[in-house]
Amino acid sequence: MRRALDRLYDAAAALAAVFLIGVLAMVVTGVAGRLLNFHVPGTDSYAGYCMAAAGFLALAHTLKRGEHIRVSLILERLGAGAQRGLELWSLAAATLLAALFAFYSVRLAVQSWQFNDVSTGNDATPLWIPQLAMAAGTVVLLIAFVDELVLEWRGKRRRVAPAEALHNE
Amino acid sequence: MSDPAITGLLVVALLLLLGSGVWIGLALAGVAWIGMELFSSRPAGDAMAVTIWGSASSWTLTALPLFVWMGEILFRTRLSEDMFKGLAPWLERVPGRLLHTNIIGCTIFAAVSGSSAATCATIGKMTLPELKRRGYPEGMTIGTLAGAGTLGLLIPPSIIMIVYGVSADVSIAQLFIAGVVPGLMLALLFSGYIVVWALANPGKIPEITHRTTLAQKLAAARHLIPVVLLIATVLGSIYAGVATATEAAAFGVLGSLAISGWQGSLTWASFRDSLLGGTRLYCMIALILAGAAFLTLSMGYIGLPRHLAEWIGSLELSPFALIVALAVFYIVLGCFLDGISMVVLTMGVILPTVQAAGIDLLWFGIFIVLVVEMAQITPPVGFNLFVLQGMTRHEITYIARHTLPMFLLMIVAVLMIWFFPQLITWLPQQMKLG
Repeated sequence: MRRALDRLYDAAAALAAVFLIGVLAMVVTGVAGRLLNFHVPGTDSYAGYCMAAAGFLALAHTLKRGEHIRVSLILERLGAGAQRGLELWSLAAATLLAALFAFYSVRLAVQSWQFNDVSTGNDATPLWIPQLAMAAGTVVLLIAFVDELVLEWRGKRRRVAPAEALHNE
Repeated sequence: MSDPAITGLLVVALLLLLGSGVWIGLALAGVAWIGMELFSSRPAGDAMAVTIWGSASSWTLTALPLFVWMGEILFRTRLSEDMFKGLAPWLERVPGRLLHTNIIGCTIFAAVSGSSAATCATIGKMTLPELKRRGYPEGMTIGTLAGAGTLGLLIPPSIIMIVYGVSADVSIAQLFIAGVVPGLMLALLFSGYIVVWALANPGKIPEITHRTTLAQKLAAARHLIPVVLLIATVLGSIYAGVATATEAAAFGVLGSLAISGWQGSLTWASFRDSLLGGTRLYCMIALILAGAAFLTLSMGYIGLPRHLAEWIGSLELSPFALIVALAVFYIVLGCFLDGISMVVLTMGVILPTVQAAGIDLLWFGIFIVLVVEMAQITPPVGFNLFVLQGMTRHEITYIARHTLPMFLLMIVAVLMIWFFPQLITWLPQQMKLG
């Protein structure tokens, strides 16, 4: 079970990384098309879809690596018991929010499919296709939060400090 | 329910969620949810999904993951080492000598990196051990590095400028170019401080061990060529109007890969690490942006920003008083939150007020970036302090104390852009419209 879950997060992250390359590829194609006078319609929109997929699919993996930021000021100053209590609360709250996020993301993709929603840009993509990445990514994030909550409850959760200082800003 | 009561309730909910350690992006979404369910008639869930999808897949934002990735590639090259080699011989005669490698190194690296913490880490990786080995006073080394690292935000490309540009609907290319002059000015202030300090404390700067000739200096400068070419490609293409910010970012990624390959540091492992590192970093930002997009929508439904603007308008503050108040507000907020969260959390609420006061949004963008820079070096939460804590194993209070002069210089910079707004507006006006 443990292995299967970790594989799931890593596989989603690998897919996300591929989509990041996709962003680059789309932008480069757009520029090349402009310079060399060929036209691939919708590279702008595809770059946007790739970016969304990269972001959503990596959510769980990033959480597991401890790289999603949170305010840990109070958490770090508590004793072991209180810390566990607060961790359980914040994980429970996050799980609830992730569940809402996942439910409505799936619903969005399903509705786009049912109503045949098509992008208004010149790519005319049926929107459920790129929205699938959002649905999948948020569901995997929900699984990861439930996973973390269960681990914390059973006292087996390791608090990971990010491997290297974040370069976020 | 009355306005102050609604605001109060939402602020308390936000503080509870954030303070108890709920991940920031989710906490923002949670507050948005509460606001929308309680105070508007639109169903919250579907609005959330549509809004987040729209913001997460918007073309204007695509510069962000690319610049993030570029930074991760450069972090894994020998670029900082090369820059140190290229710069050091030129600084023999300047008072403060190699301390300036911190400032100039960060300034140059900031022009290819969008992040302050990454700038600090990349340059520090080289200068901290080198300067320590040569006997430079450690407090000064750390303080100037922490301060100069923040230039990563102000000197384009800049992740926080992209975030601001997207939320305030200001041209990212213009913001980038607008940051150049204030960035250089701040670098000069830092360098000036080092010169003054070195002159006031003779003997604290170690003696020169050997002098280099001009020929040697010029030969050493060749190490700077790759980074200069990369800057020229990224910023030049934006300034000349031939590329959008996103396209410049794509050139930047390709250029960084080329540098990495040319140096021989491009291996499958380093490529994979930079790609995954960039993906995670972008993902972390994306979660905050997602929560903030929903929060902005929710606030808009409740009408909070408009009411706040009306209320502040009724106080009849002068624009200067407003800016001072906002600066204090952001610096305090910056003690607890990271820069991106600060910007996205407040923009949706504060922009109408700023516009009503007749403040130019381009100018305000640079102001915000400067204030966020200060937040980077204020304890207890300051990312540059964290980075340096990790690298030097010093207490955060020690680092913060030595960084204080830089903080004061930034206040000087804020005053200067207030009294001389041309520092910001002049260069973008010269730009060709891309």
